[in-house]
Amino acid sequence: MSKTLLRLLSRGAVYILLTAASILMAFPLFWMISTSFKTLREANAPRIIWIPSAVVIDAYRSVMADPDFLRAYVNSAFYAALALAGTLLSIAAVAYAFGRLRWPGRDLVFALMLSTLMIPAQALIVPQYVFFNAIGWIGSFNPLIIPGFFAGGAAMIFLLRQAMAQIPRELEESALIDGASHLRIWWDVILPLVKAPLATVATFLFVAYWNNLLGPLLYAQSTRLHTLPVYVAQLYNINNTTQPWPSIMAAAVLTTVPLFVVFFLAQRFILDSVVLSGLKG
Amino acid sequence: MATVKDNPYLYTLVTSLATVIFIAASCAALGWLAKTIVRRAGGSQRRQEEAQAGYFFAAPWIVGFLIFVVAPMLASLYWSLTNYRLGDPPQWVGLQNYARLLFEDREFRGSLVNTLFLTLVGLPLQIGVALLLAVLLNQKLRGERSFRATFYLPVLLGFNAAVLLCWRLMLNASNGIIDQVIRSLSRAFPAFSYLNRGLIYVVEVVNGFFLGLTNGNYTLLEKVLATGFPPENRVPMWIQNPLWSKMAVILLMVWICGSMMLIFLAGLQAVPKELIEAAEVDGASGWKRFWRITFPLLTPYVFYNLVIGMIAALQIFEPVYVLYRDNQPLAPSAYSMVYYLYQATFRFNTIGYGSAISWLVLVIIAVASFFQFRLQSRWVEYEIH
Repeated sequence: MSKTLLRLLSRGAVYILLTAASILMAFPLFWMISTSFKTLREANAPRIIWIPSAVVIDAYRSVMADPDFLRAYVNSAFYAALALAGTLLSIAAVAYAFGRLRWPGRDLVFALMLSTLMIPAQALIVPQYVFFNAIGWIGSFNPLIIPGFFAGGAAMIFLLRQAMAQIPRELEESALIDGASHLRIWWDVILPLVKAPLATVATFLFVAYWNNLLGPLLYAQSTRLHTLPVYVAQLYNINNTTQPWPSIMAAAVLTTVPLFVVFFLAQRFILDSVVLSGLKG
Repeated sequence: MATVKDNPYLYTLVTSLATVIFIAASCAALGWLAKTIVRRAGGSQRRQEEAQAGYFFAAPWIVGFLIFVVAPMLASLYWSLTNYRLGDPPQWVGLQNYARLLFEDREFRGSLVNTLFLTLVGLPLQIGVALLLAVLLNQKLRGERSFRATFYLPVLLGFNAAVLLCWRLMLNASNGIIDQVIRSLSRAFPAFSYLNRGLIYVVEVVNGFFLGLTNGNYTLLEKVLATGFPPENRVPMWIQNPLWSKMAVILLMVWICGSMMLIFLAGLQAVPKELIEAAEVDGASGWKRFWRITFPLLTPYVFYNLVIGMIAALQIFEPVYVLYRDNQPLAPSAYSMVYYLYQATFRFNTIGYGSAISWLVLVIIAVASFFQFRLQSRWVEYEIH
């Protein structure tokens, strides 16, 4: 066999493997969408129905008519937007301190920050719960949002710091000589240069807040504070003889739409593995 | 009387504003403090300004670290030595909580064994699939980007409760799509049927053994062994059987391997081309080139994924909640340590006991990471010889 033929064959094999893997990876999402357009009978049928015989949007109608769902949507949007704004801004400030400034104790504080990477946030929920209880914050969005304002997320600070540290020094030296303040340099010179890493960090933060389940379960238990994950999780009721799968999946599709949108907007930043700059150290 | 608190949005907006003011004040105060200290120490004008700016910008993290990490850790260390319950004052009980966790609490031991299982069985599968996908993507074929996007998408969507409910639908044994496909393939191809039943047998024996480890009760394992090779109509019982609950979690872990895949891709792109070309000239086959040159250079990335993956395994929460929370007899067979922490603490608000669990989790992470770092010199290569 000639060498080109062999190469062609191996390329074909790689394509087949990649396509098969893509189908498997994307299948749950396809199934979610497909089920959301089925009738109740089709969704619970004992045989496989890949694609519904007719597109039925009853499930979407019933979900959209549920005031609890709409409120959960508003709550999730409010929570994610406010928490994202506060976290992003404070992380950008702290990353500037670690990446661009020289100050006594910096390396020690930086090492301390990196060591918190090993502490899973959930290991601190018990004492934090007591604290939020003591100041009367249980039953409000505050415990979900306010901690982020204090530059929550060591990995994100690290990512942004690496990006800032790569910018040549001369840029701000000249600005400093011109008499610009650090606040100005941070906002006008440095932040515009790290737009891509900022977008990456913003995406990760948004996804984390949008998907968060444990926090809302602990702190926002009342129905009027329910966020989407809490609302959606209770749609499945083990006591039902037949589950209303089409409407559960319609709610699921609507819940994940913002994630899809964010991913398609930000994929060029995320997939280029900026995330990993400086991993090997 | 209507207060700000009655409107949850307004209440949080006002609190946010107050927080921003508080943080700004902390920034100014820390900056001023740093500047004063440097001046007292006789630092130059430039030094003073640098110290002020540094602490000004780092203040949000420093203050947050003290309020949300250091203070809670110290408080929980104290509470872990008491029988504190919300509402009752804490009473000193010494190491009683820890003793109960380590020697009596079966569900805690169960969550430990579950984490061990996910680390020993799930993590290698996850890392293996991530590596395979990365190697395939690294062939630089056309359309590589859309494949990459498809493989990464589950990382962002994966642990959303909505998507997990879709898995609950798919994993159903009677009419879930996965078992339906297995059934029809088994009917069509006898070879597939044997493969399927063989895998079922292995999975149930291994899981039966691990379940026995958690409660010292090996009846499920004995039952599996007594039944022998599974009959033709058997399918996996993902969410119905304690022998399978962890396998469903592993399936999800493999599904979200995209972030590990990106890390391997970065590693593959860092492999020097000259090395590969030199080996090619020497006539080494692709297989040999991979194991002799590429893989040793990837070991730092494997190591990184192992450490991160282990910490992630003990934090798995959403899948257990969405798939098993309402199936009480079975749920403990899938508890991760964090899930058990949630379950054990907030059922009766037993803060003392929960604090002890938190500290044990931290100690376990520290010990496991220490051993991984110690062992890494045996197999991780930072330079090619």
